[in-house]
Amino acid sequence: MQKKTIEKNLISFIRDTLLWNLSGSIGYQIYLCILVCLMLTGVYGYVVQFKLGLSATNMSNIVSWGFYISNFTFLVGVAAAAVMLILPSYIFNDKDLHKVVIIGEVVAVGSLVMCMTFVFVDLGRPLQFWHLVPGIGQLNFPSSLLSWDILVLNGYLALNALVPAYIVFCHYQGKEPVGKYYKPFIFLSIGWAVAIHMVTAFLYQGLPARPFWNNPLMGPRFLASAFAAGPAIISLVLHVVNSTTDYKIDNKIFNKLRIIIVSAAVINLLMLFSEIFKEFYFPTHHSQSAMYLFFGLEGHNSLVPWIWTAISINVLGTLMLAFNPFRERQVFLMPALVLLIVGIWIEKGIGLIVPGLVPSPMGEIISYSPSNVELFITIGVVGLGMFVVTILLKPALIIEKKYEDMVGPHQ
Amino acid sequence: MKKPITIKKAFYPVLFCLVLGLFIFFYPLTAFSGESGLLPRIKNATQKIEQKHQFEASIPTLKQIVQVNMKDQGGTFFTQARKSEISRFKCSTCHNNKPVTSDNAARISHADIQVVHGNKETLLTCNTCHSDADRDFLKAGEQTKIDFDHVYDMCGQCHFRQKKDWIGGAHGKRVTYWAGERVVKNCTSCHNPHSPRFEKQWPKTYSVPLK
Amino acid sequence: MAQNIFCSAKIDKEDLMDSEKLKKMNRRAFLKGTATAAIAGGAAVTTGCKGKGLLGSSEAFALEFQEYFKNHYRLMTQKERENTVSRLERLARLRQHIDLDIDTTGPSDAVLYGYAFNVTRCEGFMECVQACVKENNLDRKSNTQYIRIFEMEHGQMSPDQGNGKYFHMVPRQGHFYMGVQCFQCDNPPCVKACPTKATWKEPDGIVVVDYDWCIGCRYCMAACPYWGRRFNWNQPEIPKAEITRKQHYLGNRQRVRGMMEKCTFCIQRTRKGKLPACAEACPTGARVFGNLLDPDSEIRFVLENKKVYRLKEDLGTEPKFWYFID
Repeated sequence: MQKKTIEKNLISFIRDTLLWNLSGSIGYQIYLCILVCLMLTGVYGYVVQFKLGLSATNMSNIVSWGFYISNFTFLVGVAAAAVMLILPSYIFNDKDLHKVVIIGEVVAVGSLVMCMTFVFVDLGRPLQFWHLVPGIGQLNFPSSLLSWDILVLNGYLALNALVPAYIVFCHYQGKEPVGKYYKPFIFLSIGWAVAIHMVTAFLYQGLPARPFWNNPLMGPRFLASAFAAGPAIISLVLHVVNSTTDYKIDNKIFNKLRIIIVSAAVINLLMLFSEIFKEFYFPTHHSQSAMYLFFGLEGHNSLVPWIWTAISINVLGTLMLAFNPFRERQVFLMPALVLLIVGIWIEKGIGLIVPGLVPSPMGEIISYSPSNVELFITIGVVGLGMFVVTILLKPALIIEKKYEDMVGPHQ
Repeated sequence: MKKPITIKKAFYPVLFCLVLGLFIFFYPLTAFSGESGLLPRIKNATQKIEQKHQFEASIPTLKQIVQVNMKDQGGTFFTQARKSEISRFKCSTCHNNKPVTSDNAARISHADIQVVHGNKETLLTCNTCHSDADRDFLKAGEQTKIDFDHVYDMCGQCHFRQKKDWIGGAHGKRVTYWAGERVVKNCTSCHNPHSPRFEKQWPKTYSVPLK
Repeated sequence: MAQNIFCSAKIDKEDLMDSEKLKKMNRRAFLKGTATAAIAGGAAVTTGCKGKGLLGSSEAFALEFQEYFKNHYRLMTQKERENTVSRLERLARLRQHIDLDIDTTGPSDAVLYGYAFNVTRCEGFMECVQACVKENNLDRKSNTQYIRIFEMEHGQMSPDQGNGKYFHMVPRQGHFYMGVQCFQCDNPPCVKACPTKATWKEPDGIVVVDYDWCIGCRYCMAACPYWGRRFNWNQPEIPKAEITRKQHYLGNRQRVRGMMEKCTFCIQRTRKGKLPACAEACPTGARVFGNLLDPDSEIRFVLENKKVYRLKEDLGTEPKFWYFID
């Protein structure tokens, strides 16, 4: 009714998006305020870090990558997991999942923003980032895996931001998006998602100096854990959307996601077992890192409770999701998802980065735990990610709902 | 009816030729199995460097050096002169024809010298190295005099392995410059000839335990 | 010198733009032009990133502004190198009131530096460590040391079995000592890993870092199998009297927080024919340094006549640092 009289263009799109983002129930306003507070915490932490240098963190010449890169590693996986929604809905033409693809892509954008922010705050000289831009700087492509990572992450961000933007904009204008414009990019993003996570895995895998990382299973393992944790996070977001907005999501979708998550989680556990076997069946000098992680070395054992908890809740979450004892009742499904996500976050984050660096190549061992500055900045970045997801998702869902009401339910 | 059969007949030979073609195509990759790298490069660098003196312009001539009476792998080389470092040289200012009458003369006038050199089997005394006849020189046997600046000939009698290494460069140290004329430290530049072993000491600094 | 630098600081901008136009690097010229004309707001932030740089004098500010936009060392023309050296020397004069001599000597022909360490002769005195810290202007606050000496028990070969944190009378009975530092690999994994090409292997074999080009991602540090690289976690602090004035752009010039650094075989000394500070300082003569391509050199004598080995040879990094026993 409205759209027939008022012209919808880019300016009105932006204006409407802003209005939709700022309006809402009191609960929503409080939620936005909390997010802003989280981001301000991060800003405060970063100001301290910028003043003192990275000595404000607990990283050192031995543990040269810490909490930031751990979170980066985990979140790249979450970003890659959007493919697990795109693949069924576009290749297999699954109508149910087609409805929630937009949410998956927005979560991917949010996690990519978080990834890039984590890398930015981890840099020693972030203002010199232009040294990386080919043309005005020097990019060590194709030798350096980091250069590959930069290119694929930015490409994936573009794919996941622009394609949904186009689709949503078309829906906003009440038009059907033109298939041939965006479908090739969707198919490209399927392969690209796998690529971003393999490249991130190769970052670690390609270092002969670090025997804990230098094994061929890193790439596939990363994919398996990503496709378990990523859709789990997307599931949680869908729960929130289902319960707080009027964009209803069918139980079938949760079930399909559950199957994807369980398959990936089981493969992840299998790979974990393979790694544990290799390290502990005949421990060599190269198994020192695994010893440090699982049992501690020379009195340094801060990671031991973390990794055992992580593996236990990983297994527990997988079992709960696999055997589905509560017959798809979401209220029991959610804790299982949370357990799985936290388990994978610990095991793939801090449980991967720190043991890879300890013992040092010269055999020295230290303990690492994030400093307050690192925690503040991480909180800020997580707040930023959630903020990005919220401001992108709210208008997108409103537009999608309006469009759906207009054209009727998807055939 | 005929067509499908002919295609089927030709299929396997064509496939075979294709695979064979690929194999031949990839054969040149075997060229990579040869030897390359740092060590062959070093081994093949046998050409003498003409401009040993490429840095000579910036290297000052070191004073107080003598030419060693043996050649190293590159020709002549130099070592630090020692006579200028011995505070009471020349010895003959005291040790001339005056007779030594006091009992503990050696202990009194050379009190700073402790001989911790050799062991029960190879006992070293003052006269093992110092010539009675001419105190300005060392001796090798009764006939040969060794100048203090060429003390390596003295030490090299027993420590012949270290001397060989010293001439080559695996023992001892170059003085300040790696380029230019080769000037190395003499034996007694580093080792006290009377107690040559380095003493125990505290390290000059320490490495911090990393946090 | 001071007057000239002051004037040339202003002329520099025009010089830079002229030479850029002449070279017809359109995009870079455009960006450089816009950059030099950029508003002070952006400049204020960049000064902040130079560590101790508060606004200070406007001349220092202008110099740091130009320093921010300079190119990768390997892509600089000789004129640009001279300019950056004079800017750095002038900044040291203004900020720290010291006179530096920053060198940009290139590699010499037919020179490939090699190092040998005599494990029998090292007594753990750590004079090399102290000399290195003094010569290379290393941060005293975090006790950064390029060299690490390990106390090993007889029967072990690898430094990971050793103790790098000893502090007692040396040498201790039943132990021997060996030192590690950057081994200047001929196939360096750190060079391969750097995303901005801020570290590379010079033709004379030294793996160097262009400090100002480094963004501090620390990937090279993860890639090094010998723990050869260090990162400036904090702003380095060196007592003014102890700063070594003779510096090399790729060597011991003063670094700022957020940059990587490493042993460069004392490039400021070795390219002038001198021994590195560690080899010079060792009282027992355990360190041998020279030109691997000179068949008459001492290092070649060691390699050909002694029982030599390198650490982690199986990784294929081809380090140019050998260990030998008498």
